[in-house]
Amino acid sequence: MRKIIHVDMDSFFASVEQRDFPQYRRKPLVVGGNSPRAVVAAASYEARKYGIHSAMPMARALQKCPHLIITPHRSAVYKEVSEHIQAIFHEYTDLVEPLSLDEAYLDVTEPKKGLPSASLIAKEIKNEIRKRENLIASAGVSYNKFLAKIASDMDKPDGFYLIKPDDAEAFLKDLKIGLFFGVGKKTEAKMHQLGIFKGEDLKRLTLPELMRYFGKNGRYFYDVVRGIDERPVLPSRVRKSIGAERTYQTDIYDLGHVEIKLAEVVDVMWERSLAKKKQGRTVTLKLRYANFVTITRSHSQNRPFTKAEILSTLMALLPHDAIRQNGVRLLGATMTNFYDEDQTLPRQLKIDF
Amino acid sequence: MNFVVSSTDLLNHLQAIAKVISSKNTLPILDNFLFELKSNVLTITASDLETTLVTSMEVENAEGEGVIAVDARRLLKLKDTSEQPLTFNINTETLSVDILSESGKFSKVEQKGDDFPQPHEVDETKKTEIALPAEALLTAINKTIFATADDDLRPVMNGILFTFSADYMTAVASDAHKMVRYRRTDITSEQESSFILPQKPAQLLKNLLPNDESEVKIVFDHQNAIIEFANFVQVCRLVEGKYPNYDAVIPKDNPYRMTVDRLDIYNKLKMVSGYANPASNLVKMSIAPNELKVSAQDLDFSMSAFERLKCEYEGEEMEIGFKGVFLLEIIANISSTDVFVELSDPSRAALFLPVEKDDDNEDLLMLIMPMMVNQ
Repeated sequence: MRKIIHVDMDSFFASVEQRDFPQYRRKPLVVGGNSPRAVVAAASYEARKYGIHSAMPMARALQKCPHLIITPHRSAVYKEVSEHIQAIFHEYTDLVEPLSLDEAYLDVTEPKKGLPSASLIAKEIKNEIRKRENLIASAGVSYNKFLAKIASDMDKPDGFYLIKPDDAEAFLKDLKIGLFFGVGKKTEAKMHQLGIFKGEDLKRLTLPELMRYFGKNGRYFYDVVRGIDERPVLPSRVRKSIGAERTYQTDIYDLGHVEIKLAEVVDVMWERSLAKKKQGRTVTLKLRYANFVTITRSHSQNRPFTKAEILSTLMALLPHDAIRQNGVRLLGATMTNFYDEDQTLPRQLKIDF
Repeated sequence: MNFVVSSTDLLNHLQAIAKVISSKNTLPILDNFLFELKSNVLTITASDLETTLVTSMEVENAEGEGVIAVDARRLLKLKDTSEQPLTFNINTETLSVDILSESGKFSKVEQKGDDFPQPHEVDETKKTEIALPAEALLTAINKTIFATADDDLRPVMNGILFTFSADYMTAVASDAHKMVRYRRTDITSEQESSFILPQKPAQLLKNLLPNDESEVKIVFDHQNAIIEFANFVQVCRLVEGKYPNYDAVIPKDNPYRMTVDRLDIYNKLKMVSGYANPASNLVKMSIAPNELKVSAQDLDFSMSAFERLKCEYEGEEMEIGFKGVFLLEIIANISSTDVFVELSDPSRAALFLPVEKDDDNEDLLMLIMPMMVNQ
């Protein structure tokens, strides 16, 4: 039985701002751009009380709370703080899988420090983060990643939650389907349509049924609702997508203008893919209209896309009429399905002389 | 010294040994043939230091004796001339060589014969002598040479291992991906002995050995071998070192055996492997009772192919991958109508064996390692 901790920094960017600028403490604050088109990157707990959450347009947030403090995104600072926190994790185990700057899985089955239990380690890590970084974290403890992640969400902020192996099935039975990791808004709606509202409903479906409704995710849902998740904690998390997106000051209705802007977005994505030395075999166009309706369209091929192919493919995916009619607020390009030579090339075995 | 020789006759002898001359010789003198005249016999030598080939021929109107090194590249241009008698007038003092043709004259100051390196010698006190029919040595080389390695780190693998015992002669070659073991029970030696013949002299022998019962005499010590046959002598440096224990890696009890028509599988593999990924060259064999499917695909270029063929097989259904070129080489070097393919699992060596033998004294075994597809 493994011992997995999921550590999630509470309102990370906003908390760093409140820590570094005492005048912001105990006040509703969001991190994000200042233009009316910007979106909220992070909201303090005080701001959340007004119904403000991340990814909300800044204009909406200001409507909800006119005296909201908006601070700019200080990426370099967050990254540095994140590194300090990672260093704390590594004092306990090298099996640390960061999910983002403010979240990580830790496998403490065999901890470096001689603490007897994952719960004690989780609490100690929370204390160390508070002591050294003056920041609050929530921790979830269980025997796999799926349950640890759900657990960390149960008692926020400053939370600690343990799901013991014996309690897992009972816990999942009553868990709302929307709280299952991997169930987003769309999947949740689909689950509801199928009469699935809680874990116990999900558990009634057979594997073939789930595979039919959810494809390869069906297998995942089938397993996790039974408390099964064998995914290991992978110290260097393999990046699965590379992308870029831009929100524009004014909505764009002119197709030629959209194409120029899309080329800019592709430039940024391509530079990132070169830096990461990853080549995707699927490209996705993301487009948000002025009316906030968002669409994505993808295209795949059997070999990695060249930059010219990405451009021509994404251009071809642009819905001309809808753009002229609705106007474009946001453009994004993403590359996935990476081509990994090591993985695809078969290995010639050798005679063991 | 002077002599007269037929241009065609001379050219045939020159061309037979010219292949030993390296295109990037370290010693300029090695770009020459060494001519040595003794009574009416002209002995011609070519060498790359490691291997030396010597042939001899009778000449007419021979006068005098001596040695001289003659520019090989110019002399080999004889191939563009029609047959005619050539008169060589050689002055071993001034090193001038005049070749008189029917309608012209070619003159060049050549190099001193004494500067030509002497071939290696075999230690008389440590030598072993073996005599065998040319056909046996030729077949052994033909069956094995394709499997030799090109590995600077393990030079022993770059040659063919010949071992002689009271029961048989064995020739073995392997590049660690595939291995061939060819045995002849009609060739025996009271004294156990072995040598590793490097690829280049083996290739030269392959081109020169007659496919008949005439005798080949091999005299060797641990460093060098002198191989005499017909009117040729090849002196070569051997690969020193210990050949890996090849018998230990041959699976003794592969549980599954498939029988297929050799030409059928060869032709179908050849076509299908053209559709394999060029980098991996992976070809899959899906084996089921009485049906073999060979398939290949290259996702990156959107191509795939498969062929079905009849086979005799009783055993578990299996899918096993091989490098297409290796499979083709293996199958091409077996000559029986049908082949046995002995298998155990997709990660272990497969054996290819002839069903019928050309010769009762022969025993041929080919081993190939599979390719694994990462999950």
